[in-house]
Amino acid sequence: MRPFNVDKVGERFTRRLAGRLSRRSALARLGALLVAAPAFPLLPVQRARAGDAGTDFSRAAQTHDDSACNYWRYCGMDGNLCVCCGGGPHSCPPGSQPSPTSWIGSCTNPDDQRAYLVAYHDCCGASACTECSCTNTDHAMPIYRPQANNHVTWCFGTQGFQYHCSLAVLVGPAE
Amino acid sequence: MKRMQSDRLICGVAALLALFGVPRVDRAWSSTPTSHRSSPVLQSEKADITPFRGFTAHDLAYSGLDAVTTGGIRIIDGDTARTIATVYSSQYANFAWAPDYRTLYVSETYWTLGDRGRREDVLSIYGGPTLRNEGEITLPGRLISDPKTHTFALSTDGRFGYVYSFQPASSVSVVDLHARKVITEVQIPGCGLVFPFGERGFASLCADGSLAVADVNAHGRYTVHRSKPFFDVLNDPVMDESVADSESGLALFVTYDGWVHPVNLGDTPHFGAPWSIEQAAGISPATSTVGQVTWRPGGQVPFAYERSRQRLFVLMHEGPPWSFEQGGTEIWVLDVRHQRLLERWAVPESAYLLAVTQDARPLLFALSQTWLWVMNAESGAVGRAAQIVAPGVIRVKGG
Repeated sequence: MRPFNVDKVGERFTRRLAGRLSRRSALARLGALLVAAPAFPLLPVQRARAGDAGTDFSRAAQTHDDSACNYWRYCGMDGNLCVCCGGGPHSCPPGSQPSPTSWIGSCTNPDDQRAYLVAYHDCCGASACTECSCTNTDHAMPIYRPQANNHVTWCFGTQGFQYHCSLAVLVGPAE
Repeated sequence: MKRMQSDRLICGVAALLALFGVPRVDRAWSSTPTSHRSSPVLQSEKADITPFRGFTAHDLAYSGLDAVTTGGIRIIDGDTARTIATVYSSQYANFAWAPDYRTLYVSETYWTLGDRGRREDVLSIYGGPTLRNEGEITLPGRLISDPKTHTFALSTDGRFGYVYSFQPASSVSVVDLHARKVITEVQIPGCGLVFPFGERGFASLCADGSLAVADVNAHGRYTVHRSKPFFDVLNDPVMDESVADSESGLALFVTYDGWVHPVNLGDTPHFGAPWSIEQAAGISPATSTVGQVTWRPGGQVPFAYERSRQRLFVLMHEGPPWSFEQGGTEIWVLDVRHQRLLERWAVPESAYLLAVTQDARPLLFALSQTWLWVMNAESGAVGRAAQIVAPGVIRVKGG
């Protein structure tokens, strides 16, 4: 009995295939396979991201104007944007001081469709800045779950307890 | 000596005329020759204070909203929509009336140098015939936040006050209002707000969707125990401004999506079956599915409960999930007993707060950040409107 030769079988199959198909056809099918392949293994991942990302806020969010309420980081922002008061998205305006405590949100950047953890710190100790008032409530929690509540005056640990404005400090990817 | 007395008299009369008489007489002469006869030269009025008539069934009291709004507790007569009294308060204050509805307790915070220096948390007491300050009770702390109804409450008999504190650990200060002192601090880790029941009990909502129940034991000490979770806190939490009737002990905890969880508060709370506001109106229940725009409850104080007829008034808007702070374009009137919708009333513009009086001719107060509308709670007709400063906590008699 002749032993089963894998090499021979593989050679015969390849020669027969090469005889029937053109090289361009083979490459086209391979290309199609390569293009289609990532869609299948990644589908569950995309769904998972869509679950995080697909909030009504993130669908209308933008990434270029941090003085607008629909800036992507502000999904859980309730207060006055420090950007409009002489500060930046993560910098308190002069005269005020950031609290070491914060509430937390998870916002999706529409550019990469990834969710990021955002710490909303209040800047305190200066008179209230009334500019750029935003009321975003994406996954905001009631006050009995304070870690995600934006109604608490988060001025703990500062010199003055007067609310001035709020920051959206990027912590890192939420995944 | 005589000459001196006469000089003094002349000087005295001249001074009086200069102060009161002459300018008025001059003005009278310059108008018509006869008008001085009808205008008194000297008036007998003196500056005084209008007596406070007490907080009545059709009155509304409200505090200021935030750091921008002027503080103070304002009292409005619902029948005229006019302000009848104002009491001083700090920012972010809360308040409650004693059962006599003449004594007002204000839960507030001050610093010796405005927003810095030594912090003082107090329960200020106002009362007497003219609502004067009658002292303060020092508190160990309190939550400073946007106004929330259930951060301060009295026991039904008015003997005890409960102040929710967040430093940022959660606790409730129990205040003996007769002795004017804090008698204990009850730790409620992971929970918040106060919903009084019975003589000395209170319940709090918890971050895992459960209810904490605190009451005194046989030794007079508070013990706290937790129920099992009764709502899905991550996807559809019950709102801070849910309503609770301290007389009957019935709480209606309402979720962002409009599910009403009836709970009879007590040492052993009884949890009723949840029902949907939208289903009661004959439409599909709201869900947290992205993109589902439908009717949902929302606003700052979106609910008001009328005890005698068991009516729940709800500010409703059409919006996506997580839009629970959006103002209401309609007020829905629900029969709680039969869980059905009775009325849908449009409001002149988006309203954010609701309150209903508890008398036989109930008034419904709907408020925006700038307007108060006084409505007939049976017909929905708007009777009066008045401009107001942005409101925070609102209260009615017996509410």
